Amino acid sequence: MNDRPWRDDQSQTAGENAASERRQGPENPADDPRASAMFEAPMPQAHPTPPLAATVAQPPGAQSEPLALKGETYWQSVRRRLFKPLLVRFSAAYIIILALLAVFVPFIANGDPYTIVIKAHGKTPAHREYPLFRTLTSIDLIVLAVFACLCCYLVLAWRAGGIADPIARRKSRLRALLIFGGIALIGSLAIYFFHQNVLDVRNYWRMVKAGRATAAIFPPVHWGYAEMEPLSRNLVYKMPYSRHILGTDGDGRDVLSRLLWATRIVMAIGFISQVIALVLGVIVGALMGYFVGIVDLIGMRLVEIFEAIPTFFLILIFVAAYGRSIFMIMIILGLTGWSGIARFIRAEFFRIRKLDYVTAAIASGLSLPRVLFRHMLPNGVTPVIVSMTFGIAGAVLSESGLSFLGVGVRPPTPSWGSMLNDAGNPGSTFHWYLALAPGILIFLTVLAYNLIGESLRDAIDPQLNV
Amino acid sequence: MLKYILRRILLMIPTLIGTTFLLFAIVRFSPGLSSSNQFKGGMMKGGAGQRAQVLAEQEQMGLRDKNGHKISIPVQYVNWIDQICQGNLGVSKEYSIPVLQLIKERLPVTLTMNVIELLLVYLIAIPAGMLSAVKRGKMFDFSYSFISLALYSLPVIWVGAMALGFLANPQYLPWFPAAGTHSTNTSNMTFFQYCGDYLYHIVLPIICMTYGGFAYLSKQVRAGMLDALQQDYVRTARAKGVGGVAVTIRHVFRNTLLPLITMSAGLLPGLLGGSVIIEKIFSIKGMGALMYRATFSYDLPVLQASALIGGVLTLFSYLVVDISYAIADPRVSYE
Repeated sequence: MNDRPWRDDQSQTAGENAASERRQGPENPADDPRASAMFEAPMPQAHPTPPLAATVAQPPGAQSEPLALKGETYWQSVRRRLFKPLLVRFSAAYIIILALLAVFVPFIANGDPYTIVIKAHGKTPAHREYPLFRTLTSIDLIVLAVFACLCCYLVLAWRAGGIADPIARRKSRLRALLIFGGIALIGSLAIYFFHQNVLDVRNYWRMVKAGRATAAIFPPVHWGYAEMEPLSRNLVYKMPYSRHILGTDGDGRDVLSRLLWATRIVMAIGFISQVIALVLGVIVGALMGYFVGIVDLIGMRLVEIFEAIPTFFLILIFVAAYGRSIFMIMIILGLTGWSGIARFIRAEFFRIRKLDYVTAAIASGLSLPRVLFRHMLPNGVTPVIVSMTFGIAGAVLSESGLSFLGVGVRPPTPSWGSMLNDAGNPGSTFHWYLALAPGILIFLTVLAYNLIGESLRDAIDPQLNV
Repeated sequence: MLKYILRRILLMIPTLIGTTFLLFAIVRFSPGLSSSNQFKGGMMKGGAGQRAQVLAEQEQMGLRDKNGHKISIPVQYVNWIDQICQGNLGVSKEYSIPVLQLIKERLPVTLTMNVIELLLVYLIAIPAGMLSAVKRGKMFDFSYSFISLALYSLPVIWVGAMALGFLANPQYLPWFPAAGTHSTNTSNMTFFQYCGDYLYHIVLPIICMTYGGFAYLSKQVRAGMLDALQQDYVRTARAKGVGGVAVTIRHVFRNTLLPLITMSAGLLPGLLGGSVIIEKIFSIKGMGALMYRATFSYDLPVLQASALIGGVLTLFSYLVVDISYAIADPRVSYE
């Protein structure tokens, strides 16, 4: 191998000379700061399928409408074509609703009221309490804090859209990202280390019924996900009725509340596992596609290893060896999901590594990570976004399967998969009302992600002959 | 050609080593098995008898040699590989019999079902994909692609639980058997009765395994067909006066068949993994059920060996497919 293997290309000698001159000393006249600034600017014009290249031989049978409207950037046209089908709009709305539910579920399905007045008893005088806010766990608080930071960032990023200068716009967005990312990270750590979860065993609903408390405002679903009906009332496996609109499970817990709480697992598993897969896949794929040769050979063996062992088997071994934890399953789904992304990135990088702008970036002496991730990646990342969308759908299916088998979430944390498992085993009574709702929700979620993925694929590559 | 095959086989060796090392490392570094833990963790307080027992256990697991000395991890790995090459995959903790014997009983059950499933998937996906390529942009194309995507999104656990609950349950419709692959009285059956009994038992599991599989495959068939339909030789054949169906089958389809066969190897890991769920739902005693049980009884040797066999099977099927592809299509090479 060459000592600078990323310049093993014979056709780049001129650029290499310039680059090595640049490194030799700052007094060199070639060291023009503007030159590097020019290369560090984002290069949106170099997309794999430039939108205005539609004038180049449109394939027969492609849709008659123009691929890009006048004055539209590539991503604007992608967005327009992505949301054109009605079903995709419904899917996106459904996913957003699920995400909002996952964030705000403590305020929607909770056994504790927002506020309640407890009547005087014994020596305690009558007083007002806020049990729901008092019993928020650290996870609830972290989710809320991260969500708030995300909202702030989105607002700032949206407002930055008004800045005309692209470099200033990018800088302003980056600043917003750093500030709110930092706040989210520090806030989460602070909550994790300093917040103490409160265990409240009082049943406020019964206190109100017994006349020991008044003026209570309950959430719409006044059951916690682990709250059981007392055994004496014999309210297990109840068909849907007014008290529990979706019935109760074998432990006398409200099914609706558990369904709502399970949105958290569903949203988290897809995103976290795919972010891990993305990071790994992009790094390995970029290195493979850029260096070719021995790095590619080794990288492909890694990809093959992770493709060969069935993911499910790998997860089962991990669970048996290291104990069960939902975070570990997220990590393993990410660790086994990167191979496809790495293959995509590798193929794209093979294609673009000899293009002129990459040569120029190398010639201007940019560091390797900068060349790889700032200049080459934006042009190779589009198919990966599609693969990630399908990956999220796959992760949701895998998680529900694992929780169904009993190796996913730990009880009493609800997951749609584990709720399906409660519906019945071979030979025992089958409680269809326990299986119906979680199954439909898994189906809708996976279908929504798949529909968005399909539409995204068509939108990203308008020349694709479908 | 020979060079390609040789290179392909040689490149498989590092992959095999990596796969085995990964599985070895997962089990070796698990908290329950690291030798230092067991000695420091109070187990040694129990006197000489217990100490000898622990030593014997660790010797059996390959952590120590006969004299009770610790073996270094690379040597442990080499020893483990050596044992595997001799056909010794370890002893199951739960059943106390060699793992190889267990897998020999279970693997055929799972593989038979997977082969039947694969055949069914191909039988459905190829005509459907061809039809939607020919009728591209028409009603059939749209509805088929949506339906297959919807089926692909349907969770197996739900369909399985519903099928079992409604169609194999005396509470509702007891049409199908709820568990196993055979009735109890197989000994006095003729061969055909035996096969019929088997098929009757696997109807529901096979449906559950199949319905989601053909979305991906028929999409590939469709894309390949569309690609081939635009080739010059198709136009030539049409210009020659060859009829529509003949062109589709003889000229277009034949050229798309090869990549499809390659794909069957890529489907194998997914099938093996999916059989864990199916076999759990329908109580079938295959590899999946074996692994499921082993997970809950912490039977690491069984899990390790099953994953190893799954991985090696997949790698070899990749190899066979790649080589046969290279033989069938002389354009394939590493250049």
